Amino acid sequence: MTAALTQGLERVPAQAGYLVISDGAVLASSGDLENDEHTATVLQGLVATALGLRLPLGHEPPFRRLSVVFGEHSLLVTVSGQKLFVVKRHHHVQEPVAV
Amino acid sequence: MEGTLEQHLEETMKSPAVVGVLCTDSQGLNLGCRGTLSDEHAGIISVLAQQAAKLTSDPTDTPVVCLESDSGNIMIQKHDSITVAVHKLLS
Amino acid sequence: MGCCYSSEAEASDQEEETKRLLEPAASPPNKVLNGAEQSYHNLPSARTDEQAMLSSILAKTAINIIDVSAADSQGMEQHEYMDRARQYSTRLAMLSNNLTHWKKLPLLPSLTNQPHQVLASDPVPFADLQQVSRAGLSPCGAPQGHILILEEQ
Repeated sequence: MTAALTQGLERVPAQAGYLVISDGAVLASSGDLENDEHTATVLQGLVATALGLRLPLGHEPPFRRLSVVFGEHSLLVTVSGQKLFVVKRHHHVQEPVAV
Repeated sequence: MEGTLEQHLEETMKSPAVVGVLCTDSQGLNLGCRGTLSDEHAGIISVLAQQAAKLTSDPTDTPVVCLESDSGNIMIQKHDSITVAVHKLLS
Repeated sequence: MGCCYSSEAEASDQEEETKRLLEPAASPPNKVLNGAEQSYHNLPSARTDEQAMLSSILAKTAINIIDVSAADSQGMEQHEYMDRARQYSTRLAMLSNNLTHWKKLPLLPSLTNQPHQVLASDPVPFADLQQVSRAGLSPCGAPQGHILILEEQ
């Protein structure tokens, strides 16, 4: 079951790790995010907060993917079937992002 | 202060595809906004920036939080005590 | 199912006794306690104070006791017990149903049916990210700007 969940995640370009979270528990993890409970907890909070956003343009839910972009890498999160899918991706082009 | 901020908000709104901009302090107090982003969003925007900061131990690596949808992105970043959000439609 | 104090037999007596002894003293309990400690052997009133204290403790305890002797004496048929047990379990089931319902409310909305594709798709354009970092720079974010602004005021 977990194999089906994670197969696609492993093929994400420039991925350096992933998390699958369900109901507060880490179902699967790998790479830089292996057993990263802290990141899992923070991201769950982040998604819960973000889902509270209501925009006048009226798309509901207000986003399809949430990215947290750092200088060297990003954490990308989406929700499907009651599970949070998280992938850590390195920026393929080494640009000096957002200082 | 307000004059400068208002002027800046106007300028940001003039950028292509930008439909909303908002500045909030770390308490979620709306300091100024335009377009799709308004008072009611200030709290959530400031909380998102603070939550995201917990994802790194490097205080100089300030993350940008992006809420991506099919129509556009809302990008949020904290600058010192002020958090800025820009809503941009996909061009 | 023993009951140490039968409230019917003793409570009324106790209340009367407590009233009579405490009224003239009209002092808070800890004062009575101190007085009792100090003058236990010397003063003739010591015994009365101690008695009053004990009585008040007894009265308080009696109030707090739930007398189950009455319930016991009524007796209960076995089918009555069964009925009650059934009633309780029905109520519990109803409550727990409501609880899981409540817990399920903040369910996560599905943002996509293809999480892998969504995560693999192109990242947010660098130019867009710059927009929000630049947006912070001049007016609100940069320390210099902030200080200048304050001086203007």
